[in-house]
Amino acid sequence: MFNLLQIEWLKVKKYNTFWVISVLFLILIALTNYFIISGIMNAGAKGVSVLGADYSFSSVWNKVSYITKVFSGLLSVIIIILTTNEFQFRTHRQNIIDGWKREQFFHAKWGIVIVLSFIVTLYALLQGVFFGLTGGSSFADICNNFINVLYVFILELNYFGLALTLSLFLKRSGMVIIIFLLYAYIVELLLNQFLSVKLHLTLGYYLPMDSSANLLPVSKVEPMSSMVINSAYSTQVLMFVSICWIAAYYVIGRIKMLKSDL
Amino acid sequence: MQPIISIKNISKSYGPIKALNNVSFDVPEGSVFGVLGPNGSGKTTLLAIIMDVLQADGGSYRWFGGMAPDAARRQIGCLLETPNFYHYMSAYDNLAVSAALKQRGIDDRLRVLGIVGLTERKDSKFQSYSLGMKQRLAIGAALLDNPKVLVLDEPTNGLDPNGIAEIRELIRNLSKQGITIIIASHLLDEIEKVCTHVAILKRGNLLLTGPVNEVLISEDQIEVMGGDLHTLEPTLKAMPGVTRINKIDQVLQLTCSENVTTKQINEYCISKGIVLSHLCLRKKSLETKFMELTNK
Repeated sequence: MFNLLQIEWLKVKKYNTFWVISVLFLILIALTNYFIISGIMNAGAKGVSVLGADYSFSSVWNKVSYITKVFSGLLSVIIIILTTNEFQFRTHRQNIIDGWKREQFFHAKWGIVIVLSFIVTLYALLQGVFFGLTGGSSFADICNNFINVLYVFILELNYFGLALTLSLFLKRSGMVIIIFLLYAYIVELLLNQFLSVKLHLTLGYYLPMDSSANLLPVSKVEPMSSMVINSAYSTQVLMFVSICWIAAYYVIGRIKMLKSDL
Repeated sequence: MQPIISIKNISKSYGPIKALNNVSFDVPEGSVFGVLGPNGSGKTTLLAIIMDVLQADGGSYRWFGGMAPDAARRQIGCLLETPNFYHYMSAYDNLAVSAALKQRGIDDRLRVLGIVGLTERKDSKFQSYSLGMKQRLAIGAALLDNPKVLVLDEPTNGLDPNGIAEIRELIRNLSKQGITIIIASHLLDEIEKVCTHVAILKRGNLLLTGPVNEVLISEDQIEVMGGDLHTLEPTLKAMPGVTRINKIDQVLQLTCSENVTTKQINEYCISKGIVLSHLCLRKKSLETKFMELTNK
């Protein structure tokens, strides 16, 4: 895997688009976190403050992980661009011609998914530590709600894995980005509503992206919302379902990569 | 001697279209092996299958007597269809990726860029290259670290006449060094000048394969003009050794058995009271032979 990632690094390190998009995301995520944790951005009106400034680690981990989730759909565009570039330039063929197995090409892309998921999680972790400590929280409290950082990692693997799988099947960047974002922000919401409101099923919680998104619900940031949002699921089940989806992306993508013409 | 690659009964369909139909042949070590065929005959499909870019519906192939396909591909330099590089990277950086994929060092990049005449543009982005320069870079990448085998699909695409001559010369030189070259092209003149072996495909079927001097038996043709054609044609038809006569305008094109010479034809005609105004030996080109085979 290390050798595969070394080659992927050669491809990425001179790709300005990747760096510009990545830096923009890093800045915007940090700014959003700062605005929410410090209370500059708030919910409520006419003097009513729902959020308020709260630098306790318990609150910081909730907020940082939730904001990272909000950005993750858009962050997945990076995976889509890096994968569909190979099809656009036809370098996926050349990589195989030059000596990679198809499996290695596939694993190299999953390597990027894992590394980016790790980096995003690490970034969330560093932000949490920074905002918590600079806000005056005690280091002894750092473990309060720290589990959210693990949820971020699972969520990133899920979102990025889905983005990779769609890219392997559809191959064209524009089409993949539009379909992915429509699914992430519209289709799954409609499906969820249909399943829960029309059919009275809780299956909507376990849809591909929702299974991870529900690990980091809005109630983590805005506690009052928990009064109107039904939480009829357990985090253990959500984690299990998320991991099942990630495994499904891997299997489906692998079959596609190994069996089809390039 | 063990063949470089042994291809057995490879078939491939695209829906109802049979792109390859039970194609089998061996490529001998050290040969310059031309894969010929008109557009759509299956040349590129065949090369793509042996480079694992396409999946065959049936059949098999063995590189170097059975080496693992990915290990074999790392010892092969290949240009298949189009030059495939990262557009946002320079030629030099792109070659680093190619070298890494082949599990080779990056020290050979300047040498191959020199061979294909791109040293001065080595730091330019691939997307700024002309079609001919992209093709040269692809050939350069194929030459990285002196591969045992070169697989070249239409290598002169996009090149100017000088570039075509340079590639022809390059293929000759590489062949002299013992490198096996498998080359698919529809530029028969180019193939004829460099190939030692050929396989001719038509609509996915292998028409023939073997050494050029065996497969394309030299059937020289003799052009004749003179006197009254109505007299000349039956006279020559009666001559021993003349196997076929084609009439093209006022010229008779004779296909003869090997021992018939122009001198004998001239003497024969004079003995029959016919004075020839034109007598010329024409070597049959690969193109003529190819057209005969593929138009059957």
